[in-house]
Amino acid sequence: MHESPPPQWHPGLIALFVLIGAVIYAALLLGSEWLTYRQGDRNPFFRIITAEQSHHDWIILGASHAMPLDFADTGAMIEAGTGMTVLNLAATGTGPLIQRLITARYFADHSAGGVLIVADGFGFASRQWNEDRLNDGDFMPRIPWDRRLVAIFGRAVAEGLPATTWLDYVSGFSKINNRDRFARDTWQAEEKFARAARPSDLADRQRIDYLYPDAENAETLARYMREMVAIVGLAQAQGAQVVVVRPPLPDRFRNRLPPQEAAFDALLRETLAAQDVTLHDFSTLLPAANLYFDTDHLNRAGVEAWLNGGLGAVLKALKHADPRGDRQSGPHL
Amino acid sequence: MLFTSPGFYLFLAIVLAVFALLPATLRIVWLMLASLFFYGVATPWNLAFLGGVMAGGFICTWLAERAATDRAAKGWLTFGALGLIGALVVLKFYDATATALGLPQLGITAPAGYSFYTFMVVAHLIDLGRGSITPPSLAGYLLYVSWFPKIFAGPIERSATFVPQLAQGLRLHPGMALLGFSLVLAGLIKKLVIADNLAPVVDAAFAIPAYAPPMELLIAAYFFAFQIYCDFAGYSDIAIGLSALFGLQLRDNFRRPYLSRSIGEFWAERWHITLGNWFRDYLYFPLGGSRRGGVRKIANLMCVFAISGLWHAGLGYGVGWGFLIWGLLNGVFVSVENLLALGAGKAPPGRGHWLSVILQTLLTFHLIGLAWVFFRAATISDALTILRRIAAALPSLPGLLPVYPFSADHALGATLVLGLMAIELAAGRQPLPARLLTWPRPVRWGVWYGGLALLLVFGRWQGGSFIYMQF
Repeated sequence: MHESPPPQWHPGLIALFVLIGAVIYAALLLGSEWLTYRQGDRNPFFRIITAEQSHHDWIILGASHAMPLDFADTGAMIEAGTGMTVLNLAATGTGPLIQRLITARYFADHSAGGVLIVADGFGFASRQWNEDRLNDGDFMPRIPWDRRLVAIFGRAVAEGLPATTWLDYVSGFSKINNRDRFARDTWQAEEKFARAARPSDLADRQRIDYLYPDAENAETLARYMREMVAIVGLAQAQGAQVVVVRPPLPDRFRNRLPPQEAAFDALLRETLAAQDVTLHDFSTLLPAANLYFDTDHLNRAGVEAWLNGGLGAVLKALKHADPRGDRQSGPHL
Repeated sequence: MLFTSPGFYLFLAIVLAVFALLPATLRIVWLMLASLFFYGVATPWNLAFLGGVMAGGFICTWLAERAATDRAAKGWLTFGALGLIGALVVLKFYDATATALGLPQLGITAPAGYSFYTFMVVAHLIDLGRGSITPPSLAGYLLYVSWFPKIFAGPIERSATFVPQLAQGLRLHPGMALLGFSLVLAGLIKKLVIADNLAPVVDAAFAIPAYAPPMELLIAAYFFAFQIYCDFAGYSDIAIGLSALFGLQLRDNFRRPYLSRSIGEFWAERWHITLGNWFRDYLYFPLGGSRRGGVRKIANLMCVFAISGLWHAGLGYGVGWGFLIWGLLNGVFVSVENLLALGAGKAPPGRGHWLSVILQTLLTFHLIGLAWVFFRAATISDALTILRRIAAALPSLPGLLPVYPFSADHALGATLVLGLMAIELAAGRQPLPARLLTWPRPVRWGVWYGGLALLLVFGRWQGGSFIYMQF
């Protein structure tokens, strides 16, 4: 062990060291924040904070099954076809807790005529798609620093969100530490949007195992169903109509879903009925595998079939369209 | 609690603050309580194992002190040492063996760190029996065994060097604290920046070796040599650094191992030094060491390396014979070196021509790396597949290198490895953290800030635990 020279403590030097360290940290944080804006795209919080409009006819919440509604030119096509402005806030693997936080942030300084929730059972089955997902290295680093979110995440801590998640967001640590800092925030699956997948039992099984990592737990389901109720409450308090849809799934995939899916369905119907919220179940609408680009995500033909098969009508049926004058009106089909 | 978790640094801050405020007489007790909390906070059951080993060692010492004759005293100490080793063997191997033989299982698994503190207590008992140490105070003994920085993966400290420091009184020493800070920083960089950034490439290639391209297998074999080094040496640096924060010196565990010029030098002087010394003092020497002729020396060496391999088996990357092969391979390498040295009528090389030094170093590194493949692969069959596929592809490598689609992870890993080796070569015998303290303050601070920035920007803080915590 080396014998070291400084014989005594120097509090002033320690303070100076910490101060310079803080300045360096701040510089790294600023650089990372700049990269977050430069590479941002899919993160729903990024979309809200950078949205050009303060009002949308619809916002769409959901996990990856809702994302094809905004792949390629689909978002523009929906807006043109329905005459509605739509902000798609879906993101891979996001359950109702994250969707509630997204809703809270959206309505903090935006308004919407309707909230379309694309509900997936797996999102209600594990904290992996909720608390853990919010804090994972793929999601948190993409959220721009925002004082309203500091408050929203802070309130969520009081309701059970890990305090480290709030601390991580406020300090920007995961943003500085982001391995994909130079990559655009996209979902690579979008590249396969025009393709049709070849059915594979193995891929189906692996995908379902991935989506449902935990055993059935009624408490977990009830806990995340309360988040769904909170989303409805937040939206209705802002005068927005809420519609919940179950996304289409190919038959071979849907038939493999675990038994807990039935319990989810039953509780969802019961909960939404109590909230006076309409549920449209499209899960059996498009059973053919060629309408999906992988095991369970709609491809371009599938999205078009869903829009024509009922979703387009749901969007068009918005009760309180256009209360503001700042929306862009698209050409009707 | 891991050294890489934010919770640990909160724990450390509290332990340090209370340590600074307490009178010197209470500091050992405070550190002992903190160590027990550290070891038991995630899994309280761990404390039962630690308590069992500590109690076993203490009771045998107590009985030995009160024994009527020296022979009886040594008997108690030997009984204690063999009992602890026996318990370690049972906990590591009984269930796996019972499954194979159809016997009922115990269902008890040794917790992380169990072997390390067992080795320390065994060393303590043997040293007492040899009369090379005197029995410490109860508090000194308990802190020696449970000291939190080293409890999960060493260094395997000796009570002869640890306990006397307690008697001198523990205090915060600015110079030691600066060295401690540098060592913790260096350890975190080795673990989080280097080892954990190499891990994904290694894991991907070793997962299904038959499907991985030979170039990926070759890169993974090289990367694993540095992953395990940085993972383990990183832990040791942090443990030594944390101890220095409290004014305690632990023994070095690694000294630039991949600059070794022989396998013997690698194991005896540079890699996991405290375990090597343990095997030397408590197994190799009692077996006769090198004093009973060349054949007996080779047999003793093979015995030590086989036991070292078996010690790693049963946990880690899968239950298998790969660890034994790894140990035996290293034993064969060391034995051949010894035979060659005997044949040439001289001892292993001292200083030599620079080209010879480089060639010897490269040869040693590659032999060690070859053995690591058996350590890392899930099965012996996987290890052989990896080596066979790499060997088959070697002739085509020169043509493949310029056109191979190296990934960003490859580039980052190679940069980190080259950076590490450049620093180790430049630093010389004195490690960089210690050398730093002699540099002008602006340079020293610049290096610290650079290290902290590396940790922030490139550290994989969500990675796994330390590899050697599994043993």
